[in-house]
Amino acid sequence: MTVASASDSSLPVSIRGLSKTYRVGFFLNKQVKALQGLDLEIAPGQVYGLLGPNGAGKSTTIKILMGLVRASQGQALLFGEPPDRPQVRRQVGFLPENPSLYEYLTGREFVTLAGRIFGLSGQELDQRVERVLGEVGMGRASDLQIRRYSKGMVQRTALAQALISGPRLLVLDEPTSGLDPLGRRQMRDLILAEREKGTTILFCTHIISDVESLCDRVVVLVGGRRVQEGSVQELVSAKAPSVEMVVHGLPLEQLQALGFTYEQAQQLDSRVLLRVPDADSHGLLQAVISKGGRVSRVQPARFSLEELFLDAMKQAGGQTVGGEIQ
Amino acid sequence: MSAFAAMAWNGFREARRNRVTVLVAAFALLLLFATTLVTEVTVSTFDRVVTDFGLGVMSLLLVFLAIYLSSGLISREIERRTIFLMVSKPMSRSRFLLARLAGNMLTLGVLLVAMTLLFWVELVLHRSPITQPQLAALWGLYLELFILTSAGFLMSTFASQLVSALVTTGLYFAGHLCSDIYNLGVKSKVELVQWVSKATYYALPNLERLNFRPRATYAIEVTAAELGSATLYALGWGALFCVLAAIVFERRDFR
Repeated sequence: MTVASASDSSLPVSIRGLSKTYRVGFFLNKQVKALQGLDLEIAPGQVYGLLGPNGAGKSTTIKILMGLVRASQGQALLFGEPPDRPQVRRQVGFLPENPSLYEYLTGREFVTLAGRIFGLSGQELDQRVERVLGEVGMGRASDLQIRRYSKGMVQRTALAQALISGPRLLVLDEPTSGLDPLGRRQMRDLILAEREKGTTILFCTHIISDVESLCDRVVVLVGGRRVQEGSVQELVSAKAPSVEMVVHGLPLEQLQALGFTYEQAQQLDSRVLLRVPDADSHGLLQAVISKGGRVSRVQPARFSLEELFLDAMKQAGGQTVGGEIQ
Repeated sequence: MSAFAAMAWNGFREARRNRVTVLVAAFALLLLFATTLVTEVTVSTFDRVVTDFGLGVMSLLLVFLAIYLSSGLISREIERRTIFLMVSKPMSRSRFLLARLAGNMLTLGVLLVAMTLLFWVELVLHRSPITQPQLAALWGLYLELFILTSAGFLMSTFASQLVSALVTTGLYFAGHLCSDIYNLGVKSKVELVQWVSKATYYALPNLERLNFRPRATYAIEVTAAELGSATLYALGWGALFCVLAAIVFERRDFR
């Protein structure tokens, strides 16, 4: 994480000690801690992923940044200013989870309305509306009423309204949820295209493959707390390295009798796939050769973000849904 | 077009595309046409009956629409989560709220003007005069719609559409019975009844202050001072409801 002052206006997002407690129950006497002391900074131009299970605090973080929810404690700043300032919001495009649009409007009318709220008008507005609708693939269907749209079309129109102002920061809450594989692919391409333009992107998801393919940095939230933060590369390589070997000519039982601790040992036809800690790899290689075996492949095992995610959840006590209830 | 005007215009467009609004407007126009039938059973007080019936129809249907539109406007946005995309835009919550209110008042204003034109056509066709008290009654009706819409809005910021509509309807009836409740207290010898009736009178908007329809029926002139006082009274109550709505709306979390 980069170190900068909390009010650094160059940082698109800066969060310090952010907490949110919801009061629930008929008498509002129960408290749910949705966020607990979150710290976060996002540098310009980064694609930053918020990763976590349901109820981890991802959407709450985004809602605080978008002024939909008030923080109980701590500070959230966009470009060095509180998120409720109109001049700050002009620089931000937002796509909420399962977006809901005014169904009585057509897609074009909705995007035009969004543009007007951003202060656009005249020819500039018309041109931008045309451009963003084309970018999201809604050029032809934009004159139909939104109530006739499929879920994917609503998602695309919602993305178009997020892009209408040419934002410096794009906040996307589960942008690929509910989309078919083609829609997901197009959404990913759009996110990448925005990154190419230098737009900072904060997006929240529980689809790990999206994070791996799109994000520069990731924070893993569990139970409202940050449990991991760093670049995808850092996070997956920070784990103790292990090595994968493919051995021929020795049965699995004989390899197990060698006395090494295997993370994975699997018979595959005439060969055996082994995964051992890097420290043991040299000794195992020598032992296999001395017993007459042949090693056809030795490679560092890739630790995936998914494993990291599951690991983080285990560390957090297996809490998967909701914040801490008191 | 500014952000405020865009949101207000959108409110008008929403109402225009709402089937209930269209049906009520069509029904109102039909009823106004039916004024001709009423004249068939009138012998000597033709002008009075046309005025009373015409203004009554307009009042009844526009009050229904004001309650229906205002009570669901914000609560529906919250329930359907369209609020997420609006509140996150570069527009303060209070401005958003006022723009929605302005959109509602624009809708009611356009309908009132359309109904008034038809009402005047009826008067002209029957060779009845268009009088100053009729205009005063129409202005009073619009002020009443403003108070009811503001009250519906206030309720809508924290309650469901049904609850908002029930409370606003209650306010409409209580507002018209305010003076009677006060007079009941004056005549009562029980101190508690006196106190409760006075408290009710001052806690609720007295909608009878804005009701110039009986005077329009009997063609009794409404002075400028009376109109000015009624306007200030309505604006005061409307502003109070709007400020309360803004306070509630500003503090809300949209989860």
